[in-house]
Amino acid sequence: MRARLLAVFCLAALCCTAQVSQDLKEEQELLALERVAKLQACESKDLATLNNMLDEGFLYVDPSGKHYTKAEFFTLVKSVDSFQYATDAMAVRLHGNTAIVTGLFQIKIVLHGQPSLERGRFVDTWLLENGTWKGVASIDVSTQ
Amino acid sequence: MSQPSSNHRPTRASLAARSRALLLLMACTFGAVVLGQQQSSNTETAIRALEREWTYAQGHNDNRALDLIFDNALVYVEYGRLVSKGEYLARIKREIPSSDEIVMDPVTVRTFEDTAVVIGTYREKKLQRGQHETKRWRFIDTWIYKKNGWVLVAAASTPLR
Repeated sequence: MRARLLAVFCLAALCCTAQVSQDLKEEQELLALERVAKLQACESKDLATLNNMLDEGFLYVDPSGKHYTKAEFFTLVKSVDSFQYATDAMAVRLHGNTAIVTGLFQIKIVLHGQPSLERGRFVDTWLLENGTWKGVASIDVSTQ
Repeated sequence: MSQPSSNHRPTRASLAARSRALLLLMACTFGAVVLGQQQSSNTETAIRALEREWTYAQGHNDNRALDLIFDNALVYVEYGRLVSKGEYLARIKREIPSSDEIVMDPVTVRTFEDTAVVIGTYREKKLQRGQHETKRWRFIDTWIYKKNGWVLVAAASTPLR
């Protein structure tokens, strides 16, 4: 009886460890995706990479409250003269096949020769589609 | 030695069977599409109702209702600050009922199986130093279907400039 209980306990502990390890792996992957999307793809206007990372129904709200569809967001990325996005204090919350990533941002943008600086907090929603995380929504909230 | 005929002509019976199979396939596909649309429409209706319920519960300091609407791991960006479910509920509890008024504009709901994303705007009427101030906000809310129904897992709004 004691041996059986011990076996059940060990199995439960093993399952728990495996789940924690899997969640940690997903969190690391999502943080890496955030960095690729915001710090690399947007900055270098790499629309092919962004296209693979974002769902067709992707929605974005900028710090001024303007909202963009995926196509409109691509037009915005293409039209800026220069774009620098920095993130800090990122955190991931997993809910099965959905993940919420939050963090702080700083955007330095030059649009039609006009520089601007925005600081705030972002909330991104990711969805696991056929084994790949895709961004479905993103909002940058101004704290200025 | 006779060669097997490569020109195998289908009989009338096999043609009829094929047609029936094709019709059945088309009916199943159509049924699945209609069912999918119906489910999506049901989700949108449920989410819209929950958004209204949230606004009403907030205006009436109904923390019991809000507790059911919010997931325990809710992330909420309120006036640029990240607050937890507990902090948000504590603020609502402290406030005078209906001191602020929130008027929702029409919202768009996007559904992705057990996840729904809502985007929209609302007007917030606040009493500041005896004066009514109105501010417009754009928000994105994320809902997830869990074992007891739809719950809010993330919400953020930014002021419209």
